Amino acid sequence: MRSDARRTDERFAHRLTRRHFVRGILAAGALAAGGLLASCRQGTATPTPATSAQTPAAGPTVIASPGAVTEFPRNETLFVAGFQWGPPTTFNPMTPGTGWPAGDDFQHLYETLFGFNLLTGGLEPQLGQKLEQPDAATMVITLHQGTKWQDGKPLTADDVIFTYELAKEHPEVPYNTFFDYVSKISKVDDRTIRLDLNKERLNPGLVKQFLSTVKILPKHIWEERAKSGQTLTEIVDTEPVGSGPYKLVGFSPERVALQRDDNYWGISVFGTPAPKYIVHPIFKSNDEGNLALEQGRVDISQQFAPKIWEMWEKKNLPVGTWFKQPPYHVPGSIPLLFINVNKKPWDNPTLRRALAYAINYAQIAELAMSRYSITANSSLIIPDGAEKRFYDQVNVDQNGWKYDPQRAIQTLERDLGAKKGSDGIYVLPDGTRLGPFKVECPYGWTDWQTALELVAQSAKDVGIEINTEFPDAPVLFTRIPNGDFELALWFVNGVSPASPWIRFRDVLDSRGVPPVGQQAFWNYNRYNNPAVADLLDRAAASQNEAEQKQLFSELDRIFMKDAPAIPLMYRPLEFYEYNESVWTGFPNADNPVAPPSQGGAGIKILYVIKPKS
Amino acid sequence: MYIAAAPQTRTTSRRHPLAFLASVLRLGGIGVNTRFWISIGLLGAILVFGLLGPIVLGKRDPLRIVGGLYDPPSSKVWLGTDNFGRDVFTQLMYGTRTSLTIGLIAGAVATAIGVVIGTISGFRGGMLEEALMGITNVVITIPSIVILILLSIAIASRSVVVMGLIIGITSWPWTARAVRAQTASLRAREHLDIARLSGAGTLSLILWDIIPYMLSYIFMAFVLQFASGILQEAALSLLGLGPSNTISLGIMLHWSLLWEAVRTGAWWAFFPPTVFLTIIAFALLLLQSSLDEIFNPRLRRK
Repeated sequence: MRSDARRTDERFAHRLTRRHFVRGILAAGALAAGGLLASCRQGTATPTPATSAQTPAAGPTVIASPGAVTEFPRNETLFVAGFQWGPPTTFNPMTPGTGWPAGDDFQHLYETLFGFNLLTGGLEPQLGQKLEQPDAATMVITLHQGTKWQDGKPLTADDVIFTYELAKEHPEVPYNTFFDYVSKISKVDDRTIRLDLNKERLNPGLVKQFLSTVKILPKHIWEERAKSGQTLTEIVDTEPVGSGPYKLVGFSPERVALQRDDNYWGISVFGTPAPKYIVHPIFKSNDEGNLALEQGRVDISQQFAPKIWEMWEKKNLPVGTWFKQPPYHVPGSIPLLFINVNKKPWDNPTLRRALAYAINYAQIAELAMSRYSITANSSLIIPDGAEKRFYDQVNVDQNGWKYDPQRAIQTLERDLGAKKGSDGIYVLPDGTRLGPFKVECPYGWTDWQTALELVAQSAKDVGIEINTEFPDAPVLFTRIPNGDFELALWFVNGVSPASPWIRFRDVLDSRGVPPVGQQAFWNYNRYNNPAVADLLDRAAASQNEAEQKQLFSELDRIFMKDAPAIPLMYRPLEFYEYNESVWTGFPNADNPVAPPSQGGAGIKILYVIKPKS
Repeated sequence: MYIAAAPQTRTTSRRHPLAFLASVLRLGGIGVNTRFWISIGLLGAILVFGLLGPIVLGKRDPLRIVGGLYDPPSSKVWLGTDNFGRDVFTQLMYGTRTSLTIGLIAGAVATAIGVVIGTISGFRGGMLEEALMGITNVVITIPSIVILILLSIAIASRSVVVMGLIIGITSWPWTARAVRAQTASLRAREHLDIARLSGAGTLSLILWDIIPYMLSYIFMAFVLQFASGILQEAALSLLGLGPSNTISLGIMLHWSLLWEAVRTGAWWAFFPPTVFLTIIAFALLLLQSSLDEIFNPRLRRK
């Protein structure tokens, strides 16, 4: 569900598209580890219908919901930026690209059972108080005492079961493959829910991902909608009733405004969140939002802001990120340079590895990522945060690659027998000139475009000609899943309860992948290795961390040997940048009281910050 | 100083060692104004910088990475580095060259198409004129930037020449219309009757009896097309549709916008290309207006 590209968009014009598409695709595809059929049911690469028609907020009016608030005292209001890029039209949590904070795993309005902590990889209590696993195939969830909806009605196990069971009748919901992994969800009592996992496809990690991303809906409101036969994702909901600590009190093309619910059920459990209001101004462009952060008009932002360290080093502003030093952010995903393994001459793993040796990863981290990434390793496991426990440096050193242009040239000349032409580009013995090849990523994804320019430059230096091309995002969102590319920078699942398993699945698993020309939800370059399936299944089912680590290392070795894709850099799941002019006490590496994210377990940030005066 | 005083020396019959040069600079006695020399000076400086700069300072690859993200100007990188860590000064030299080349090709193509269509329709008249001017009027109503964007997207790999052609073939209509009007008025001149009586064909008449009489006009149109070609290239490049695998002033601006050079205070990334584009466009317009004055006696200042 979480992808690197999901929240970390950099440019104005295509930002909306990026979010919509990524959400749509990932909601349908990436979570949908279950077969092709399930995925195809809603694997559509078109923008969501909810954004087109019937928009109650199309005009520049703040909606007049009862008690609409238009004044926001600065010292009671937290301003956030970077999640909402177009006029919000609906707050239906089912709708891909729905208005902030109804979507993703934000807990402000609707809550999930558990909140994912990207630092520890664990699940933290939200609606659920505890998660017990009496055996490998059973999960028992206990709800907190006193959970209730914002309209005062109690929230019970019935609401939870109702929400999940929507997946049975409504293939359009984002978690439509839930029952591929869970054979039964049942009520033990009003506060207790029992999940029986599908023993054939045992994957507790993926089930936990559902538990931390599926928003629980009020049965008393949604039951009627579900029965009405409407497509649930198309319902326009502008007066959402959730269970979270904030209510929606106004939205317009300029902003989304939330007000604290002082009757929130969680006050006795979590305490009271500090800001009375949370306002998300909707900016037209990145610089606008970054300038607002710099000037203290925004308190917490997730926008890509180049050279953010200058804000405190040069301008002495009370701005901070998670780390005070590079890479400033916690890595959360790996943009991968996918190589089409079925197109000559890239069907040769030796050539793919030669390219891998040619790329200057440190330069990409420094320039394309503005130092927000450490130098990429040749592993599909993120070497920090939740996945650190699985990362095997020795394995990477022994079997992987790193920037070494001499080695690249050696590989080309000795292993492949290529000869350098007079134009400085190698020619393979069969007469194939190494280039011009085409490498692509969507236009406007600035850091990616820059990374590809650097790849092209690095490749040229060793004698492979690669040209960059930046089509519009919708074009690539069709072509890449269809396998219609030569080289392309693309995203796979980021850190989540199911990672790194799900990332290995995304890159190596050929099961459930349709032939070229049809939309795949993973393994876009149609890599095929019969050794992978068994390892993946064992890693998914394993409850033993040491065994999992060993299996992941095995998969990583296959990845490094065949190099079907090349990790270029790391991106955080969310850029985490705060300005303490008005609110102080934001968590950071020195004060890690909450993870650096505004969704999932990061809701805790709201409980630890304090107004400055 | 002597040059500026050239018009006054016209009446003196005194033989001066520089008299020959002066007569050349007077362009056949019609006088040369200050604006002409300013524009020539500016253009010359730009040309020297763009064409001779790389030769004088040694060949450098403008795409080579020499530093970090927006390094400020220093003794090593005179104008700092861009977001790729590439030397802005080197990029400026090669970018100016690229922009001028594209402008030149675009200007030549647009002028050529415009002159061909304009002279033919103006000279032949009748149905042919109606048809050609009809097409021209249709093309003129379509905003050329839209066609430019579509063409640029359609063409996968855009070289400098292709860019020039794309811009050229979208910006000819107004030249065609203006040339047609000129031709139509020239058509009635007496020297054409004489030429016709001597048995000259259409092509010969256009080439030898029409075009030479409006060469000054065509040249001015070309200068304007040249300037607009450079600006069009900048506009396209700014949208990320510039020439591939090279650098131009527009591409420099494109990346500086994407990487928020303004907010991060990296003035060296966006200011120099902006100044260069401004100077080039300004100099060309100045050249055009001063030439107009030279060619058209009625506009000449006393």
